[in-house]
Amino acid sequence: MNRFDYVRAGTVAEAIQAFQADPKARFIAGGTNLVDLMKYDVERPERLIDITRLPLTAIDEHEGGLRIGALATNAAAAYDPRVRERYPVLANAILAGASAQLRNAASTAATSTSARGATISTTRPRPATSASPAPAAPRSAASTASMRSSGRASTASRRTPPTCASRSRRWRPPCR
Amino acid sequence: MATASGSTRSATTFDITLTINGETREIAVAPWTTLLDLLRERLDLTGTKKGCDHGQCGACTVLVNGTRVNSCLVLAVMKDGADVTTVEGLAGIAHHAGTNTLHPIQEAFIERDAFQCGYCTPGQLCSSVGMMNEGHAHSREEIREAMSGNICRCGAYTNIVDAIQDVMQEAGR
Repeated sequence: MNRFDYVRAGTVAEAIQAFQADPKARFIAGGTNLVDLMKYDVERPERLIDITRLPLTAIDEHEGGLRIGALATNAAAAYDPRVRERYPVLANAILAGASAQLRNAASTAATSTSARGATISTTRPRPATSASPAPAAPRSAASTASMRSSGRASTASRRTPPTCASRSRRWRPPCR
Repeated sequence: MATASGSTRSATTFDITLTINGETREIAVAPWTTLLDLLRERLDLTGTKKGCDHGQCGACTVLVNGTRVNSCLVLAVMKDGADVTTVEGLAGIAHHAGTNTLHPIQEAFIERDAFQCGYCTPGQLCSSVGMMNEGHAHSREEIREAMSGNICRCGAYTNIVDAIQDVMQEAGR
């Protein structure tokens, strides 16, 4: 993690001022994305503006809908009774991501606007492979020697669809 | 707006106040110090473990103002004024003066053999307490989902859930 300056904004005006004074500064709220990426040296901000003390956590009725404050945590939004009742897909989508610890810290605005988004997702539970054995692999005419040299044994196990996390892990630049 | 302290210390430290396991301390901390590193390296509270250091394994789980979070992703300076509970402080939550009692979740973990190597255990304990504070998980499936941020290489999951259910039943939840 690079060395950086830190300022804590007490009001929205202070936060804006701090950013205008240094447009390369980054706002930090829950930090579940930013600190993670800073540890990988992917993000290297020279200054962090801490906005966690700003009064932006409320979830209010707004013109027949709900206005979710930018600093409302994922957990606060997902477990708000009005969100659960009126926007269950939103609640479920939030609860399908990351972990409880991360949802307790992550802010709604940062999660919804992050270009990189969550790198952890859930898959729907599937039975253990031992509980539902796949049919035996079809025997091929190829000899064992040729199978070994091809470098890939055929597998009989059922392929589960890749999650976003596994997709990003497996992608490699195409060979030229 | 709070900025670096003007004291004779290095200009890159901030003076913060943290109440850790009931004890209030004033600490000068660099902004890049995570709460996990502060607890382990500076305060000798090595109960909390560094597993992945990236918020994925949950071994670093502590309670900040009663809420469970991954301390490896918390910049300590941002938690000025907070109340932090680590595994070392769990017994204190349930402590009766003059006795050496453990927190009910710790006793349940022992009773139910809910750990093998013990490395994930401090995080599991704090996460369990945090989960019960949240009050959303009741069935076995819900507990498993709610605890999915804490992984266990030894595979003690089944017994961990048993232990949590024991505590919840005792407490009438």
